[in-house]
Amino acid sequence: MSYAVLENIRVSYDGKTPVLTDLNLSIERGELVSLLGASGCGKTTTLRVVGGFIEPRAGRFTLNGVDMTRTAVHKRNFGLVFQSYALFPHLTVFENVAFGLKLRKIESASLKSRVMAMLDITDLGALANRYPRQLSGGQRQRVALARALVVEPQLLLLDEPLSNLDAKLRLSMRVEIKRLQKKLGITTIFVTHDQEECFSISDRVAIMDKGVIQQFDTPEAIYSHPANEFVARFVGFTNFFNLTASGTGRCLNNLGEEMVIDEIRNHTGGQTSWTGAIRPDDIVLTGTEVSGTNRLTGSVEVRTFLGKSYQYELETKLGRVVVNAPKDSIFEPGTLVCAHLPSDKIVLC
Amino acid sequence: MKRSVFLLLIAPGILLLTIFLFYPLVVTLAPTFSNNGPSLARYLAFFSDSYYLAVFFRTVWIAVVATLVCMILGVPTAYFISRRRRSKSFLMALSIFPLLTNPVVRAFAWINILGRNGVLNSLLLSWGWITTPLTLLYTDFSILIGTIYLFLPLMIVTLVGSMDTIEEEVTEAAESLGASRLVTFFKVVLPLSLPGIVVGSVLVFTGAITAYSTPNLLGGNKNMLLATLIYQRAMSLADWTSAGVIAFVMIVMTVVTVMVMQKVSRRLDRR
Ligand SMILES: Nc1ncnc2c1ncn2[C@@H]1O[C@H](COP(=O)(O)OP(=O)(O)OP(=O)(O)O)[C@@H](O)[C@H]1O
Ligand SMILES: [Mg+2]
Repeated sequence: MSYAVLENIRVSYDGKTPVLTDLNLSIERGELVSLLGASGCGKTTTLRVVGGFIEPRAGRFTLNGVDMTRTAVHKRNFGLVFQSYALFPHLTVFENVAFGLKLRKIESASLKSRVMAMLDITDLGALANRYPRQLSGGQRQRVALARALVVEPQLLLLDEPLSNLDAKLRLSMRVEIKRLQKKLGITTIFVTHDQEECFSISDRVAIMDKGVIQQFDTPEAIYSHPANEFVARFVGFTNFFNLTASGTGRCLNNLGEEMVIDEIRNHTGGQTSWTGAIRPDDIVLTGTEVSGTNRLTGSVEVRTFLGKSYQYELETKLGRVVVNAPKDSIFEPGTLVCAHLPSDKIVLC
Repeated sequence: MKRSVFLLLIAPGILLLTIFLFYPLVVTLAPTFSNNGPSLARYLAFFSDSYYLAVFFRTVWIAVVATLVCMILGVPTAYFISRRRRSKSFLMALSIFPLLTNPVVRAFAWINILGRNGVLNSLLLSWGWITTPLTLLYTDFSILIGTIYLFLPLMIVTLVGSMDTIEEEVTEAAESLGASRLVTFFKVVLPLSLPGIVVGSVLVFTGAITAYSTPNLLGGNKNMLLATLIYQRAMSLADWTSAGVIAFVMIVMTVVTVMVMQKVSRRLDRR
């Protein structure tokens, strides 16, 4: 049995529009799981159900086998870090971090040493007597983290904790969070809508859309085997085309041409049609027309400069195709080019 | 902004204030500082007259108690209102509603309730809790009730404004760290609303000191406050100089209160 389990959670704020519909999620002890999805898909709502701020209309939340669906927030012992940090403005850094321990009636000597140890871990020792308004964004963020971690929570909930930081700080803070999380072994749910951040930090990722988890797997698995078109789009696939089966291990595209796809070997079920997908980076462009399988001829419609490469939008018989090609050969809009879709780079979903 | 433009813009305001506030004030107050030449004799006389002193302390006492009661009633009410989502504007309108009716009308309502044959006495008599009607009207008690009723909305509105600035996530963070709703209220909400409480208290206190119609209608002649005393001296006895003395005492009281509370508020607000 997993450590934290959400079973068939259903949430609706107004009783009419569903926000979460039969959401299921199982998290192992010590794992860092991310909820990733576009704005408004229900990530915060899910986190608030776990935190106890929203009572679901149906479903159960259990932690370590104990039903906590209706446990009061202050009895859960979960650490929370909000996007806005939500520090107590009238308390110093030290007092902020000590808040939870004071409520637990820890005697003052051990309270002090625990708070100081946590401030050292988060590199805040020198700022103990400052007020939140006297701190930078990154420092506030660390106070919020320290305050949540010092009580040794059963579960750490992070709601876009890095979104208010600049790019450089985000990078170092996410390494920091991962390091602390592993060091303290705290089971963590991390909400974000930044794909790169999420993939770099998580043990497993739940991709959400419209209150439904579309895929829950390791970042590697999601990146190379998206479960459906929504997930594929989310992880950078922009080109999609319909495929139909023609005998075992073979398939045809809309034009009736055969496409060679390595992955089809893993799809031996009775499925007869798929959506094939490929990333713009994985398509190879050549100026001269080469015939053969997995090749498409098209004319360049739009060219955009991406820095490391050029992005081309091609008009082909299979529809619009987006390709990122290196800078060494440049194709002008209007010219005919040939796009090669390598068989090992096409995924089926 | 250019200095000349700036002066031009504030000139009308300055002019109005000079004609209608400063000039009458000086004309009224100047005689109070003279007694065949500049002197504080009239003020010394005020503070050695036992009747005046009694009125002075009654005024302060009523203002202090009214402020405290408004605080105690207003803080939880305001917190309740500030945490509503849908019913908030309705509740706000409800609390502001009394402010929209004339204070005289509101005082008359209390006369109907607190009088010898009023609603309250009739109820208590009919329940058999008392055998003779209580004297509630024309006492300090009735002034106090009227004053609290007059200024509680002001306290609530001020506090809701102040409590609205407390992010919900801050109280949620406190709860997640193990604080029950009640503990969160005392450890987070209350300290963060202190500046609002101070502002509200200043409004209630200075309002209670200067209110005229409520103590006039609910206090009667026996229970004078400074405001009613001024009126009596000036209009009934045509003793404008005494009225001026009392007026200046009131001005000093309110100014000192505002200044002290500002200091306190700055101390408390360490954010
Ligand atoms: N208090 C509320 N009352 C009514 N509807 C709400 C409330 N909070 C959220 N919603 C709705 O529920 C849906 C999910 O919201 P949620 O805050 O969980 O999204 P999210 O995934 O966290 O988005 P974001 O990335 O923008 O933070 C949204 O459509 C939102 O409009
Ligand atoms: Mg959110």
